[in-house]
Amino acid sequence: MFRRVVCSTGALALRARPAYMARVSAAAMPSMTFHTSSKDLMPYKMPEEGGKVRLGFIPEEWFTFFYNKTGVTGPYMFGTGLILYLINKEIYVVSHELLHGALIIGLLVYGVKKFGPAYTAYADKTINDQIEQTYDVKNAQVDALQQSIDAEKKEQWRLDGRNMLFDARKENIAMQIETAYRERLHTVAADVKKKMDYHIEVENVKRRVQQEHMVEWIQKNVIQSITPQQEKENIAQCIRDLKTLSARA
Amino acid sequence: MAARRVGQKFVDFAAFAERVPPNQRAQFLALKSKSEAIKAKFTALPEKPKAIDWAYYRKRVPVAGLVDKFEKQYSAVNVPYPKDTATAAVEEQEKQMDKLAADFKVESEKRIAEYEKELAQWTTMIPFEDMTKEEFAETFPETLEQRKKYPHWPHYPYWE
Repeated sequence: MFRRVVCSTGALALRARPAYMARVSAAAMPSMTFHTSSKDLMPYKMPEEGGKVRLGFIPEEWFTFFYNKTGVTGPYMFGTGLILYLINKEIYVVSHELLHGALIIGLLVYGVKKFGPAYTAYADKTINDQIEQTYDVKNAQVDALQQSIDAEKKEQWRLDGRNMLFDARKENIAMQIETAYRERLHTVAADVKKKMDYHIEVENVKRRVQQEHMVEWIQKNVIQSITPQQEKENIAQCIRDLKTLSARA
Repeated sequence: MAARRVGQKFVDFAAFAERVPPNQRAQFLALKSKSEAIKAKFTALPEKPKAIDWAYYRKRVPVAGLVDKFEKQYSAVNVPYPKDTATAAVEEQEKQMDKLAADFKVESEKRIAEYEKELAQWTTMIPFEDMTKEEFAETFPETLEQRKKYPHWPHYPYWE
């Protein structure tokens, strides 16, 4: 039982052994180069589970050792015989100490059975928490580094975009120049046109003024040429016309 | 003539916008709106002015020989192309910027290499649960001072 407790607390988070560990442990023991065989003398992992046992504490191997010679009952016969022999020959004397020992062992077994699992859980939890904390630190570091690398790369990528800025600015300048040039062309054409339009307009005005003047002059002369005699005749003629019209109506 | 080239080039502002650092966003937007205004003005202006109908004017303009004279002069007139004084400055700036960018890139690569070295240290590290004290000291030499100050049992100076 003790073994189980120790095993499960000592062998936490078992993993496949990474290759770099061989390098590290070889480098950690430079003075042990006595021979050229593997220098990894320590086991890398504690066994996670205890070996198989019978009757709660006797290793399975001790039983299988007898099987070839004696069959499956042999080990029990041997054990019983051994105990009987020791007692019979008074090599082991049965006294109050036997009872004492049995009680102590019983108490120990009881204690381990009763408090072992709780202690195991507590110890596992403590160590797991510690490991988690250290891994939190590690992951934070790794994340931060990765982010810094990404940020640097992004900044480089952004800097590559400066060509776009200069392209755009050059393009703007070219377009502005071209616009100015076109505006000049347009101004020349418009000015030439304006000058000619001006001449046409001057001619038009001149003609209109001449025409108006002529009309006025003719009207004036005609009115001047009318005599009072003609006017009277004209009115009489009008009255006559009105009379004929009223007679007809 | 330059007119062929001008305005043909396509500045991809959408792709450009992605590359603008957040702190230069306002400047970028100002440039963008300015460019768009310039472009609009440019595209609104036709390349050549409308051809003058000389025959129409020849019939109407009363001054003898004026139209012919104008036509001759108009076809002979050479409108000077505006001199480009700004592009040189921009190119100068570009050259400076290239230099700065190259410098920055070198520095940045250096920093990235540093980060990656550190990162490799973390990723190829022995898992914490498999570490011995000596390996921990080897992996994190910066904790040495503290370990000297507060040594663990059995207070054996293994850093020596």
